[in-house]
Amino acid sequence: MKRALTVLLLVVVAIPLLYAVAQLPPHGSPTSPAYTHVSAYYLEHGPEEAGAENVVTDVILNYRGFDTNGEVTVIFTSLAAVFAVLLGSRKGDERLSEEPTAHQSPVSDVVSFIVRLLAPFIAMFAIYVILNGHISPGGGFQGGAIIAALVIVTTIIVGRKQAEAMVPIRIRRVLHVAAPLAFVSVGIAGLIMFGNYLEFPKTESLMWLATIWLIIVEIGIGVGGAAIVATIYWTMGDE
Amino acid sequence: MIDLLWTNLDYAASVILFCIGLYCVVTKNNLIKKFIGLNIMETAVFAFIVALGVVEGGDAPIMGVGASAPFTNPIPQALILTGIVVAVSTTSIALSLIIRIYQHCGTIEADELREME
Repeated sequence: MKRALTVLLLVVVAIPLLYAVAQLPPHGSPTSPAYTHVSAYYLEHGPEEAGAENVVTDVILNYRGFDTNGEVTVIFTSLAAVFAVLLGSRKGDERLSEEPTAHQSPVSDVVSFIVRLLAPFIAMFAIYVILNGHISPGGGFQGGAIIAALVIVTTIIVGRKQAEAMVPIRIRRVLHVAAPLAFVSVGIAGLIMFGNYLEFPKTESLMWLATIWLIIVEIGIGVGGAAIVATIYWTMGDE
Repeated sequence: MIDLLWTNLDYAASVILFCIGLYCVVTKNNLIKKFIGLNIMETAVFAFIVALGVVEGGDAPIMGVGASAPFTNPIPQALILTGIVVAVSTTSIALSLIIRIYQHCGTIEADELREME
């Protein structure tokens, strides 16, 4: 009975969706409405107007800068929420003391060696991805994710204590707010110089400044995002 | 209908992925498995929207020396970048809530939790 209901639900959901999807403009057609309006403009004017050759970076950091500003606040808020949920009511929880603490499974030598060998290259790749976000695929979020992955894999190899000692909590506390901080400072610089929050330089002669601002925001997002993901990972590992 | 679906195979694939996610959410009893199902649904939506931006023979939308039209649509990619980050945020909050539920009730099976009320 329950199984039949589930199948019915899936069919009821899938049939209209498949029907709707079949009516869409053919996949990959250059005349589809999604391609011919705003994106045509962005593709044509993005590099001169917004200061980055990578149009995706132009869109997320310049044309839709407000959106991304809110988004970095979202990841910061998620960190705050994780802290509130996990650290908020720790005392008075007897179950925590009953549970065995940190049963670390041994790591194989091969894994350990490979990670130690690759770690510097992963870090270098992450920095490359962050700093070249305006001229090649990549950017702050992607590079930050790579750094966070490096932190997590290092934690698995050397254990939490040592990994955390590499970035002391004093420094990490500042790094957590790097992304909103970079965004707000660039926004206020725009406010002072051009009269609007997050307004980027538009004239040809000031394009270098727009590019520098983009790089500042990319670095902020990369470092801040990586710090937040690493801290969330460690906080969850505590429990 | 079938040949229309065949030309839009990418979209149809994301619909099927969406249904797999929905199946997990509906049938699985473990909260973490339910949430993995929700993540699969998110991924299906992301794949769908990115597929909307594909242009036949298009290059990555990066201008500069040697770049030639057509380019793929940059807007879906930018939107989904935002979406992925929000998905990560919701995932971290949901997992921490599940950890709290486990600490509080000692189980994360939905039916056992329902009996406990």
